[in-house]
Amino acid sequence: MSATPDTWRKPPMIANPLLRYGLLLAVVVYVVWAVSIMPFDWERVSQGLVRAQRIFSGAFPPSFARSGLLIDGFLESLKIAILATVGGVLLSVPIAFMAAKNLAPVPIFMLGRGIIIVARSFHPVIVAIIFVKAVGFGPFAGVLTLIVYSIGFVAKMLAERIEEIDRGQVEAMRSVGARYLPTLIYGVFPQIMPRLVGLGIYQLDSNLRASAVVGIVGAGGIGATLANAFGRYDYDFALAITIVIVAVILVSEGISGQIRKRVW
Amino acid sequence: MLKISKLVKRYGNGDPVLKELDLEVPGESVVSIIGASGAGKSTLLRCINRLVEPTSGTIELNGVELTRLRGRELRMARRRIGMIFQSFNLVDRLTVMENVQSGRLGYLPLWRAAFRRYPREDIRRAYELMERVGIAHYANKRADELSGGERQRVGVVRALMQNPEILLADEPTASLDPKTSEQIMDLLRALSREYELPVLINIHNVTEAKQYTDRIVGMRYGRIMFDDVPDALDADAMEQIYAGVPAEERGEGADPQMMAAAG
Amino acid sequence: MVSLDTTPEDWARYTPRQRLQRFAIFLICGLAVFWSLASIDVIWAWVWTAPQQMGDLFGRMIPPDTRNLGTILWVLVETVNIATLATAVAVILSLPVAYISAQNTTPNRATLWLGRFILVSSRSVNTIIWALLFVAIFGPGIVAGIVAIMFRSIGFIGKLLGEAIEEIDRRPVEALEATGASRFKVILYAIVPQVMPTFWAVSILRWDINLRESTVLGLVGAGGIGIILQGAIDTFNWPEAATVLLAILALVIVGEVVSAFLRKRII
Repeated sequence: MSATPDTWRKPPMIANPLLRYGLLLAVVVYVVWAVSIMPFDWERVSQGLVRAQRIFSGAFPPSFARSGLLIDGFLESLKIAILATVGGVLLSVPIAFMAAKNLAPVPIFMLGRGIIIVARSFHPVIVAIIFVKAVGFGPFAGVLTLIVYSIGFVAKMLAERIEEIDRGQVEAMRSVGARYLPTLIYGVFPQIMPRLVGLGIYQLDSNLRASAVVGIVGAGGIGATLANAFGRYDYDFALAITIVIVAVILVSEGISGQIRKRVW
Repeated sequence: MLKISKLVKRYGNGDPVLKELDLEVPGESVVSIIGASGAGKSTLLRCINRLVEPTSGTIELNGVELTRLRGRELRMARRRIGMIFQSFNLVDRLTVMENVQSGRLGYLPLWRAAFRRYPREDIRRAYELMERVGIAHYANKRADELSGGERQRVGVVRALMQNPEILLADEPTASLDPKTSEQIMDLLRALSREYELPVLINIHNVTEAKQYTDRIVGMRYGRIMFDDVPDALDADAMEQIYAGVPAEERGEGADPQMMAAAG
Repeated sequence: MVSLDTTPEDWARYTPRQRLQRFAIFLICGLAVFWSLASIDVIWAWVWTAPQQMGDLFGRMIPPDTRNLGTILWVLVETVNIATLATAVAVILSLPVAYISAQNTTPNRATLWLGRFILVSSRSVNTIIWALLFVAIFGPGIVAGIVAIMFRSIGFIGKLLGEAIEEIDRRPVEALEATGASRFKVILYAIVPQVMPTFWAVSILRWDINLRESTVLGLVGAGGIGIILQGAIDTFNWPEAATVLLAILALVIVGEVVSAFLRKRII
């Protein structure tokens, strides 16, 4: 009988030692390099603590003195979110059908997917500055931005749902001689409706959050109010706005979660 | 020697699950505890290593009173009590060796545990024990790649790595097929002899209890109704332990799976 | 039993009560849309000319101006570095936060609430708003951007990781407690291996998101490619803005491909 071994090493995740240590080295080199080329302005940063203190002492206590402005900003955000959700969901339906592999011919499928990829890839803030330049400051740019944002999510999820539909129901419709549109309405829509409603509610919640952000670059809503407060060093008002944003987001998240639980 | 006296366990304000229970297990014997589900078998076993906090009573293992230990002292005591579980309770994503060595966690310095730098004697012992139960060639496999019987062997080796003074086994064969479960029972009995260990086994299969253990303890309603050698377990005693329990749940005769197949 | 002597001639999909409910919901939705349309502060004349304006703008973007491509690509690399470094630091910082905000590992109620407070405040404030704050503190530049992304990511990673900890299989934990292992060793052996897949998945997912977020930090002065984009747009240099936009599109798509690859290899 051979001697019982008394050493053991855990089998490494990457079996090839060259690759393993090579990767480790590459990661270390990358981190060192990335940190070293960062144009850190340490002097400016070191003043940060002092400035942070000034900002926070300026921010406390939060000031709700101009709550009229605050409420107006919020209502505008809400309007932007509602209109963008309705517009976005309406536009998402045809785009989703275009982007569903099982229903659309290849060139249309590519176009549909292309629209979704572009809509998803650009952060709403980037979309917002372009719309602000094109149609001017204000909530209209915000609505357009969030429509694009909604398409990126709703159309993508909806297309995936359409690709999963039960072919049998569609074929049943075709077999009784229904044409293309009735087939969609009776064979496909009932299957995707619940998902569409759920996505719409989710998107309303997301749009409300995002509208707080796109306002910072001039697309209306509470974000604009916040950016203005920051720009004018009204830190107490800015803190009040931030607190309200957080509260509204929490409430809206709770409500949309509740509704979706019932719909789904 | 394990000595339990007047052990009471009550969950919340309900009826006690264990009612002033007394039990003595002298060294090197295999004792099975039988009884319908809900009789308190599992609670009794978990009171011994304090996975369940007893309400009152005392538990003494080789002269150490276990019920009052706290923190570090409790961990020291637990190192001496090996436990084997119905669902094996291995860490699926770790290798068999790591699972086995986790039985030594109570003894190892933190850095050794964290970097898997196990002492040589522990590794040798692990290989010996794995060889003994027939799983040494799996050392580098992930635990979830093994079959049920093999996984339970890992569980047994993990418990033995602790150098235990007693082994507790909570339904060790309930998740296994009949043939494998006989092998595991056989193994437990053999290990008890080899390492001179008392072994306490919760089991619902009365046939296996009779075949593989030296002594049977029958529980009902948190009390001990029967405590004798297997041959003394006659129809009367069975009636006492299982009165009113449907025959198929008594674990008598053939294994339930085989009965289902026959019926 | 339904009596069969009269065959029903009308059929309705919903009961009257359901119909009433549906009607009410439609009415509320309709009113909300009407209210928004009627009171939103929009100059409608501009809306009708918007398609033309958009066409005009995109027309001016063609052809994209690539003379500055070298600088743009270099800043793009810097943007990737911001996202990667911030994600790496956030991942490390979120570990203790996840630990104290999971109900089954948190030491006591006070730490649980502390953990939840950190998660909620980090998650509810958008990266851009964090950036606004840190630009005010640290001044414009990359530090503000990295810290902003970090602050937002801690909540995201911490929340998902905390949920993973709460969903682990309790049984190995029980088994290792029974061997007399200390709390920390139980975490190392029974909890860490179980949450590892989630840990990698969440880290990769967040890196992908952060790549997108880091492209806009520059618009509030917090570094990255956004600064060049802002500059080009402010000077109406639309051909260059187009190049930047295409570069961002490429970056995001490459990021998605890389994270899909990593996900497949690691998990």
